[in-house]
Amino acid sequence: MSQEVTKEAPASAAAAPPAEPPRRVRVRGAALLRWVGALIAGLVVFGAFVLANGADPFAVYADIWTSTLTQPGQFQQIVLRAAPIALAGLAVVVPARAGLVNVGGEGQLIIGGVAAAGVALWLTPVASPWLIMLLMILAAMAAGAAWAGIAAAMRLVVKVNEAVTTLLLNYVALYSMLFLILGPWKDPAALGQSTSVELNDAMKLPVFAGTAIHVGVALAVVAAGAVWFALTRTTWGFRLSVVGGNAEAARRAGLPVVTLLLTALLLGGALAGLAGFIQFAGMEYKLRPTFGLTIGYVAFLASWLSRHKPLPLLLASLVLAAIAVSGNSLQIGSGLPAASVNILMGLVLLAVLGWTGPRKVRS
Amino acid sequence: MSTDAVARARGRVGKPAALLEVRSLSKRFGEVQANWDVDLTVLPGTVHGLIGENGAGKSTLLKMIYGVYTPDEGRMFVDGAPVAPGSPADARALGIGMVFQDLRLVPALTVAENIALALPEGPRLRLTQLAARITEASEAYGLAVDPSAQVRHLSIGERQRAEILKVLMTGARLVILDEPTSVLAPQEVEALFGVVAQLRDRGLGVVLVTHKLGEVRAIADQVTVLRGGQVILNAEDPGNFSDAELVEAMVGRRVPPLAVERAAVPPRDHPVLTLAGATALGDRGHVALKGVDLAVYPGELVGVAGVAGSGQKELCEVALGLRPVTSGSVDAGDGAAVAVPEDPVADSVVPGLTVLEHMVLDGRAVPRRGLGVDWPAVGARTAVLDERVGLHMAPTRRTLSSLSGGNIQRVLLTRELGQDAALVVAAYPSRGLDVANTRRTQELLLEHRARGAGVLMVSEDLDELIAVADRIAVMHDGHVVGVVDTAGADRMSIGRLMLGGVA
Repeated sequence: MSQEVTKEAPASAAAAPPAEPPRRVRVRGAALLRWVGALIAGLVVFGAFVLANGADPFAVYADIWTSTLTQPGQFQQIVLRAAPIALAGLAVVVPARAGLVNVGGEGQLIIGGVAAAGVALWLTPVASPWLIMLLMILAAMAAGAAWAGIAAAMRLVVKVNEAVTTLLLNYVALYSMLFLILGPWKDPAALGQSTSVELNDAMKLPVFAGTAIHVGVALAVVAAGAVWFALTRTTWGFRLSVVGGNAEAARRAGLPVVTLLLTALLLGGALAGLAGFIQFAGMEYKLRPTFGLTIGYVAFLASWLSRHKPLPLLLASLVLAAIAVSGNSLQIGSGLPAASVNILMGLVLLAVLGWTGPRKVRS
Repeated sequence: MSTDAVARARGRVGKPAALLEVRSLSKRFGEVQANWDVDLTVLPGTVHGLIGENGAGKSTLLKMIYGVYTPDEGRMFVDGAPVAPGSPADARALGIGMVFQDLRLVPALTVAENIALALPEGPRLRLTQLAARITEASEAYGLAVDPSAQVRHLSIGERQRAEILKVLMTGARLVILDEPTSVLAPQEVEALFGVVAQLRDRGLGVVLVTHKLGEVRAIADQVTVLRGGQVILNAEDPGNFSDAELVEAMVGRRVPPLAVERAAVPPRDHPVLTLAGATALGDRGHVALKGVDLAVYPGELVGVAGVAGSGQKELCEVALGLRPVTSGSVDAGDGAAVAVPEDPVADSVVPGLTVLEHMVLDGRAVPRRGLGVDWPAVGARTAVLDERVGLHMAPTRRTLSSLSGGNIQRVLLTRELGQDAALVVAAYPSRGLDVANTRRTQELLLEHRARGAGVLMVSEDLDELIAVADRIAVMHDGHVVGVVDTAGADRMSIGRLMLGGVA
């Protein structure tokens, strides 16, 4: 991330006049200090929280370190968690290139999972497993794209901000799924629990030999590479960045602005739908009230942390997944609720975003 | 850079102290020596013209005097006492006042409230008392301003008077006017110069920054010429120099005058652009263009004059089909149009993209290679354009948004004016350009005209329009209030039209 900082201030780095360095050095030094300070503050505040709950913060940090990063099983857990985060993060990255804010990864992911589950439910008795898997992928992507398409249509036709509509549609998606698993799709065999019928073993995503890692992880990596290529090496990606950088300039250059905005948001929705598919067919195998919970929001943060760049997004997804997984060891090791790592996650995010955000440089 | 080349002011030993004396000021920004060993002496009761091209270092000098920048070297004296203003507030306390080109008034507040913001008053706001003082001061200086008027209802000229009044009421004895006439109609310029003369007669010092020689001749007692950050002429009497000599001092070489010989506009057949009763809304939803009738014929250059914000922007956008008309009609034929945007940064610059990447945003088909853009082909195409247009734009790998306004303008002019089109719409084409590039841009527009294109050109500079246009359409408050043949045009009668009067 340090390269971002030097990029922000080329003038001050290359063109610092000899008589001025004191002020410039102070500015850059201050930025570094702020970052270190914010990170330490994040850890200290969380440490205080740990202490207030009767645990030793140093032991907790040591525990998080050893339990999450030194055990192979835990590492696989992290990778499995990171894959849907990365895919749903790409659902933020692509629209962001066109200047759109997609907060709807959560809902698009759920709808993608619902579509995959629906395909499995209806076709399991009649079609071959491979065909069903292919249809599940297509249905999940189409459903995610359609869900994002609602927001895109509202933006383009009645000019409602897509950040608001995508966010609100998350609730519509969640309650639609709850309706299905509480009613029509409820598994009668799941005593008292509201879940859908578990996916047939033949249609669960295959795992790499000797590991717990399913092929959905590879799918996420390939998708990130494809998005990187599309954004940086194609005419479409170039035009998208023109629209995102200055829509008026795009309009004056005769670019199809509406089509570009639409494709960006639809592709984003399709990627989130794909995340819903791998979460369903690779991790959870059935819809339950907590299906995909918070993946879309964590993915939103991962995209911002990576400055909406597809390859750094993979790293950001891994880091956030690691923090989430460390919650389990926290619960076992020190009796704190697993969700308390979300506090640490929030503090770290605030620190890093506060540091890397572009600053106004005085001319 | 030898110091011998720098023109020195005559010694002032034994004379009364100057209001402001600047000695050997230097300022460097990275590779750019913005000011080098600059002297400037402003005496009380004089108007000092400071002239130079864009990038000559005028702004840097002013900002050092006004405490925005700290000089690398050099000294400043006010009334003979050494000073080092560290901020604009320091400068104001020393009696130095600055009237910026983009006036610093809050549109939603009244004149009195704006002035109250600038005055170091106590916690209680005594507006009635202040209004009385404003009226008193405005009578004393001949600056007619209604203290209770909301700034957003004032014309540009009135706003400028309010701003000058604000500066005077904060105790300024040296008033710096940064290109004050660029947005004014000729009548308003005359009124402004009346005020400046009055300030001079009351013993104040005035620095008038400009690049128009006519203004120096009209009002300045002394003139200082900056070029490349250095003083070329120091506090000379402008009467001792011809226009050509002053231009040569500014530019560094002779600039041949624009050719006046020009083919007549061919007999009128079908116009390339016809507006009939065109009415359109502005960005804020108000009616900005009110029933405009205008035709531009092939081989004709039509100028558009008017006080800033009279509907020129909307006129251009309607002509280009970028803004829908709410009534009336627009017919721009089916030939391609090229356009120089009125606000280059807002309309055409994509932050973070390079000059090369901007070169494909011209509405033409993009050269492709596989799924992507064929950037080498774009580069080759751009080199040909740059050669043909001759404005020597910045290297194509540079980020456009990091360039100065003049360099951005050259890139966009190269992209747009390098193409042939039936209609050329150029809004303020010479904005931010130096004398030589302004001249080249005017030539380019005339070349398009000679080729048979219809050219519509908006400018704030009436002299520029008179020099190149065949007809001038004068706008006021969204209307085209008159179309004047340039041959035999009278600046003052155009000025009256700009202000909404009858020619």
